[in-house]
Amino acid sequence: MLREFVEKKHYLFAEEAADWEEAILMSCRSLEADNTVESNYGRDIVECVKKYGPYIVIMPNVALPHSQEGAVGVNKTAIGFMKLDKPVSFDPDDPEKDARLFFTLASCNPNQHLDNMTRLSEMLMNEELVEELLDASGPEDLLRLQEKYLD
Amino acid sequence: MLDILVCCANGAGTSLMMKMTTEKVIKSLNIKVGKLHHCSLSEGKSAASQFNVVFCPLNFVSMFKDAESKGTTVIGLKNVMSQAEMEEKLKASGIPLE
Repeated sequence: MLREFVEKKHYLFAEEAADWEEAILMSCRSLEADNTVESNYGRDIVECVKKYGPYIVIMPNVALPHSQEGAVGVNKTAIGFMKLDKPVSFDPDDPEKDARLFFTLASCNPNQHLDNMTRLSEMLMNEELVEELLDASGPEDLLRLQEKYLD
Repeated sequence: MLDILVCCANGAGTSLMMKMTTEKVIKSLNIKVGKLHHCSLSEGKSAASQFNVVFCPLNFVSMFKDAESKGTTVIGLKNVMSQAEMEEKLKASGIPLE
């Protein structure tokens, strides 16, 4: 999965985002670049989070921006990766809802999506891998971690 | 035999991750499961009372008051990837796991 991020250029390393809304929009950029998603998708996700709350932060440090399966403006099934050096807050009252790792979900093919989610969940259940991802600073680190933990 | 529903806002991201955590918990605690279904909140709200257990992110617990009053155990999770949290809360709920 980490190699896939690099091969498809679905990654972004950035220092910080002004707020969680900007972070979500930034996390969609690499998916927009090859038309996996269209520019409305990021906005739609922001609206979703406004409506339902920061449930997309599924564990400390990790957010999964997404709206729904078969969302408008999603042309391919993929996951985009973003890492911020400085955490962005989704809930000022709950520091456990701060996020630095973003895995932005795009799905229009349920089977392929399920396969992606299975691999993502295996990855996120590996605490050491998540710790090292938090220190990653570029695509070469993604490839190194892929070899170390996933190959 | 337990029927379990995992539920999140859209039914495509967080609920799927929760489902995979649930599968791990089912295996490790050796729980006998009938149905394991994941879905969106809108579907889940009406379907919840047909399940023994509902897992959802903590901030959605209040959406399942109806089902809770009908006897469904609703468990809110802080970290949906945490097998430990899910196991702990499932055991603490007192629901028979056989």
